[in-house]
Amino acid sequence: MITLENVLFKWHAKQPEPTINITKLDIDQGEHVFLHGPSGCGKSTLLSLLAGVTVPTQGNIELLGKAINQLSNSKRDRFRADHIGYIFQNFNLLPYLSPIENVTLGCQFSKQRQKNALKNSATIAAEASRLLSALGLNDNLQHQAVAQLSIGQQQRVAAARAFIGSPEIIIADEPTSALDTQNRQAFVKLLFEQASAANSTLIFVSHDETLQTLFTRSISLVELQGGTDATH
Amino acid sequence: MLLIKLATKSLLNRKASALLTLFTIAISVMLLMSIERVRVDAKSSFSNTISGTDLIVGARTGDIQLLLSSVFRIGHANNGVSWKSYQYISGQRGVKWAIPMSLGDSHKGLAVLGTNKDYFEHYRFAKKQPLSFSQGHEFNHLFEVVLGAEVANPLGYQLGDEVVIAHGMGNTSFHNHDDNPFKVVGILKPTGTPVDKTLHIPLAAIDAIHGGHAHQHEAAQADANDHDHDHDHDHDHDHDHDHDHDQHDDVDLVGTPKQITAFLLGFDSPLYTLQVRRNINQYKDEALLAIMPGVTLRELWEMLSIVEKILLLFSIVVVLISLLGMLTSLLSSLNQRRRELAILRSVGARPWHIFTLISVESLLITGLGCIVGIALFYALMLLGADYLQSHAGISLNIALLSSYELMLLAAIMVAGFIVGLIPATRAYFYSLADGMSIKI
Repeated sequence: MITLENVLFKWHAKQPEPTINITKLDIDQGEHVFLHGPSGCGKSTLLSLLAGVTVPTQGNIELLGKAINQLSNSKRDRFRADHIGYIFQNFNLLPYLSPIENVTLGCQFSKQRQKNALKNSATIAAEASRLLSALGLNDNLQHQAVAQLSIGQQQRVAAARAFIGSPEIIIADEPTSALDTQNRQAFVKLLFEQASAANSTLIFVSHDETLQTLFTRSISLVELQGGTDATH
Repeated sequence: MLLIKLATKSLLNRKASALLTLFTIAISVMLLMSIERVRVDAKSSFSNTISGTDLIVGARTGDIQLLLSSVFRIGHANNGVSWKSYQYISGQRGVKWAIPMSLGDSHKGLAVLGTNKDYFEHYRFAKKQPLSFSQGHEFNHLFEVVLGAEVANPLGYQLGDEVVIAHGMGNTSFHNHDDNPFKVVGILKPTGTPVDKTLHIPLAAIDAIHGGHAHQHEAAQADANDHDHDHDHDHDHDHDHDHDHDQHDDVDLVGTPKQITAFLLGFDSPLYTLQVRRNINQYKDEALLAIMPGVTLRELWEMLSIVEKILLLFSIVVVLISLLGMLTSLLSSLNQRRRELAILRSVGARPWHIFTLISVESLLITGLGCIVGIALFYALMLLGADYLQSHAGISLNIALLSSYELMLLAAIMVAGFIVGLIPATRAYFYSLADGMSIKI
């Protein structure tokens, strides 16, 4: 499903220590993985590699059976649009679009995700609305200006945008850091529900280890780094 | 479609600066279109001033000076043409008609033209259109006047009103011959030429007002003339012209002035033109000049064309400046929008989507700017048409956009698109470099 082999990444050639040095990492389809580690251990870089934004200096990254590091830039872009949903730490919603429009944006650059979305609902707007409701954002909030939503509500919009069109991989980069503890757990459970419904692999990055117990698998990036095989 | 929608919403999100940019472009479009419309219409008004006349003959001077003084009533000829020469030349073979013109007098700053009845019959403007009357008829008596359309309207004259002609040009002449009022008997339809601003009186009446008192002049003329009967009648008529309008037989409206300012000639066949012109230019008794109005009009316009080119240049520069304004605002907003672009990248937009998005934005701004500019242009035309007509004699054509104007608009759109490629390219490279990482 997701396979990293002997992956080495340096930002520039003369860097003495590689930012990422992973001998082996396997993640199965449908797994909910908790990835943790202190700041500066290379979490963001690893996510960039997993999302195909950057390519490793050495080694192979296989996503859904495709060696993503061998694809051209534009093919990687298309692959990401078709197969990966990304939830950012600061949500990154477009302020001039409504919540519904922000969510539908998630599948508008990918025919495949549009097709997937239309399996669940008649229109992609209806699917966006369905996802938002499932994530706990009620109807009258769905057409409001994004800026008027609370942090928690904005985050639901960001999650719905990642889930629309059922991408195989969901990457969540510290999505709960702005929430209080109770809301964090509720939010993670909502993510699980949606990920399970779509049989998506969820890679959840956080430095908040209290959430770790909710996940079936937990990976410490510090342990993963430096060539140790961290596959449990 | 998606990108157009995104571009629109993103622009609406930046309303203030987008509207300002749009408005700058709109104003520059309005300016360019107005200047071009006025230029084209001025040119056609100009070349429509006189037609159907084969030669204009005056005392020897410059071609253009003769044209200006005889047709445009600008400046004045220092010398005239002697009546003898006029009679000789107009009696030549092939001459179909001759219209004597005597200029130099004015009424409230408007030119007074002494001429004969042939003027109303043979004078042509635009595409050989004859003069026609909106009210009344041509003059039949010595102290009758036919007004151009722009004389009658602003001054509020109507048929039957009395008009006083002053000697010399200008509003405040020393001699106002209050005892020689002219009666308005006809008002011409608008022509869009200097005819509109002219008062037409019989040629003989020019001598009458120059001679001081019409009666004396008439008497003198009667002595020197064979047409005793006519002049006596005329004399009588002038005495009590308030009472008996109806009786006019064969009034001599031409008389025998010493000189006239110029005269117009029409030939039976244009083939005579060059030959007669040569004869006139070599005329031994008097230094005369004959010009072909069409040719001289073209020469005059070519002289003015430098002004027209400078105007065009200025308006093009204004459009360029407005497009550069758009470039500035798009480029400066781009830095603040890197985050927005990265978000789009993260949801799967590829770099060429970003490129298209920014291009569409610049096209939207330019396109809307053009539309608003056209609206402003028509508003300006509607407001300015009357003023230009009355002050510059340019009749504006408030019609649909000509193919030339559409071409100008297309050129602006293309220029806007090309200018938009600069920020679009920049955004393209930003999005390649930034990827999904949001740095701002």
